[in-house]
Amino acid sequence: MATMIGRLGSDRLRQWLPLATLVILVALIGALQPVFLQPATLLELAGDTAVLFILATGVTFVIMLGGIDLSIQSMASLASVVVALTLSSLGYWSFVLAVALGAVAGLLSGLAHTRLRIPSFIATLAMGGVLFSTALVTSGEKSITLEVAERDYLTWITGAALGIPNVVVIGLIVLVGAHVLQAHTRFGRYSAAIGAGEPAAYASGVKVNRQKVTAYVLSAAFAALAGVILAGRLASGSPTLAAEMLLPSIAAVVVGGTAITGGVGSIWRTLVGALIISVVRIGMTFLGVNIFAQNIVFGVVLIAAVAITIDRSKIPIVK
Amino acid sequence: MSATAELSLEGVNKSFPGVQALKDVSIEVRRGEIVGLIGENGAGKSTLMKILSGVYQPDTGRILIAGKPTRLQDSADANRKGIGMVFQEQSLLTNLTVGENIYLGYEAQFTRGGIVHWKRLYAAAARQLAKVRLDVDPRMRADDLDFASRQMVEIAKALTLEDGSGGHLVILLDEPTSVLERAEIEVLFARVRALRDRASFIFVSHRLDEVLELSDRIYVMKDGAVVAELAAAEADVPKLHHWMVGRSLQAEYYREPLQKAFAPEVLVEARGLSLGQHYRDVSFTLHRGEILGIAGVIGSGREELTRTLAGFAPHDGGTLEVGGRAARFTTPAEAVDAGMGYIPRERRVEGLVLFLPVAANITLADLGSLTRYGLIDDRREREIASGWVDRLRIRTPGIQTLCLNLSGGNQQKVVLAKWLEAKAKVLILDHPTRGLDVGAKEEVYELVRAVTAEGLGVILTSDTLEETIGLSHTVLVMRDGEITHRADAAPGMKPRQVDLIGHMV
Repeated sequence: MATMIGRLGSDRLRQWLPLATLVILVALIGALQPVFLQPATLLELAGDTAVLFILATGVTFVIMLGGIDLSIQSMASLASVVVALTLSSLGYWSFVLAVALGAVAGLLSGLAHTRLRIPSFIATLAMGGVLFSTALVTSGEKSITLEVAERDYLTWITGAALGIPNVVVIGLIVLVGAHVLQAHTRFGRYSAAIGAGEPAAYASGVKVNRQKVTAYVLSAAFAALAGVILAGRLASGSPTLAAEMLLPSIAAVVVGGTAITGGVGSIWRTLVGALIISVVRIGMTFLGVNIFAQNIVFGVVLIAAVAITIDRSKIPIVK
Repeated sequence: MSATAELSLEGVNKSFPGVQALKDVSIEVRRGEIVGLIGENGAGKSTLMKILSGVYQPDTGRILIAGKPTRLQDSADANRKGIGMVFQEQSLLTNLTVGENIYLGYEAQFTRGGIVHWKRLYAAAARQLAKVRLDVDPRMRADDLDFASRQMVEIAKALTLEDGSGGHLVILLDEPTSVLERAEIEVLFARVRALRDRASFIFVSHRLDEVLELSDRIYVMKDGAVVAELAAAEADVPKLHHWMVGRSLQAEYYREPLQKAFAPEVLVEARGLSLGQHYRDVSFTLHRGEILGIAGVIGSGREELTRTLAGFAPHDGGTLEVGGRAARFTTPAEAVDAGMGYIPRERRVEGLVLFLPVAANITLADLGSLTRYGLIDDRREREIASGWVDRLRIRTPGIQTLCLNLSGGNQQKVVLAKWLEAKAKVLILDHPTRGLDVGAKEEVYELVRAVTAEGLGVILTSDTLEETIGLSHTVLVMRDGEITHRADAAPGMKPRQVDLIGHMV
């Protein structure tokens, strides 16, 4: 009984650890650089976090049910290329096309994983390769800058209303939508059940494969949306636009406290995780850490976060 | 405690959340002795074996080897101290050779500069095989051996511990006969007896006659405690059975007075049902309010039949009708839609999502009915869950408690609540009382009686024949994939176990 109470206590502590980390980091950087705590800087931070958050949100759905999606950064880059290539001819439909392509790619990954019974990391690793090469070939292996005339279509991303950047509003809409989906629908509940105990979910009549495929569709579609927004903010599309974003995205999910083994997690946690990653990134800039050295930090952070969040006594063998 | 005991436990206690698995257990094994260990499922045999093999640590109490108190850190440490284990589910890696298996993890002695000297390893393996008089080439793959030979290889593997510990061994045999034929069992027993000068044995088995045949002395366990210690010469099967069950059969235990006649309405009708080599030409009818027990040994086909009805293993011959409609379930989801509710033996794997709360588990099979505009109605979910917790008297700190933290009996009630909430018409009870203590078992029996009184049909397979007979209205006996006997089991007119056993083996 005593050990049970101890465990509950440490679980509760673990739950608040990410938020506490975020607050401490913000306070720390604020103390060193008071300008950091001004509303304008914080809004900028929120805007910078949006793309990472949307990428991480998509992959949260997959991680919740115990899988992984390694194709998200290639998907986001491809989406930026699609926007850059079709914006002049399709207008706003160009964005729809990019996200729809994402959904199709997710559907294919999901079917490969469930129908062919291929581990998700293999299915999505392969899909990532396909998407990356598609982006390379269609873009002619180069970055495509959007024409000034085309930039009118981008104001929904780049603009601001009442002093709040639109990209922050988009991030909030994604937050609310994804949160409702994850916490208040059957899909969300089934995902948690599958992640925590797939055999029991299956035996209870849950259509496990359908939920899995849905999660991969969501993951890739959110990745494509992230790519669209990135293209809008940078006014260009490129096959490497979102390169180096896979690691921070997965780190954000896990740092937020979602278990990499599935079953436990939420979109809120991913938001906290994404903010932590952003703050760490800014903190490193303040400290003068080379921008290219960031992934060293994120790699270490990811390992540390997994080590802390997983109660490994419950998992005898890690493959 | 006698000073000559090779291995002894003194006053060992072991608890898991919600259940005390071992209560003040003391046993001893003397040099060259074969000690039998029997008990029903959940009596604590497995926990005891795991403590002896170093997998679990006792909460209190002592382990003594040759009279000296010791601590077994883990199974490798137990091995070093001369305790070997031969598992029920064979632990040989079938893709490796016999020799590789025997020295798995102990190749260092044949290794120079990181290179394994295979010739020496196989020569040593051949010497081990000679000890158990098994005439096979150590270079054969384990896959190519029959079960009896694999069991001998396991024993040979355990005997390699002689080289490490240097002394007399204690080898735990956990249900070693469960997959063997009679002739193979006799060979195994002869070899075990011949090894007495090298090792003592603890023999765990369900088969009381075999325990009597092989053992010198027998410990009987019940509900986590040793309830009897008998010399094999002074024991017989009825005596052991009596100690094991702890009482003579009482009608009250299985709530027989609550057994009501079932309704004429048919819920499930199977005609000539078949599945590959598992079962053939199975026909039965399940009525409203009826408990249909299926008796049979491992390999009788009753397990697969159960899985077919639950949607895990679609039949490939004959017809199945559920609620008057033809059915062939290819997934559990289809079975659930047809009104079947499966209460699996692997409660913690297939029955419950342990890491989800009680409430989420109760509503898992019926989320659709509490979803409005695509959103789960949280308040209704809480009401439903609280309702079932009250009705089934599920003892839990709250409906948001993870099922992980509930005792086995309460977990089983959550599984039952899930299917009652999903308005299942037929419950498939696959060893529903496995691992439960007596009190929890009785609660389950009471609930099963209550739901059948409300018109549910129940298909039951059980750990014990006694339970099958005690609960059922009708008992089907299966052997080698076919139904060999049907017996009426009305209250007061229950068939005797011996009458059914003849049709089982």
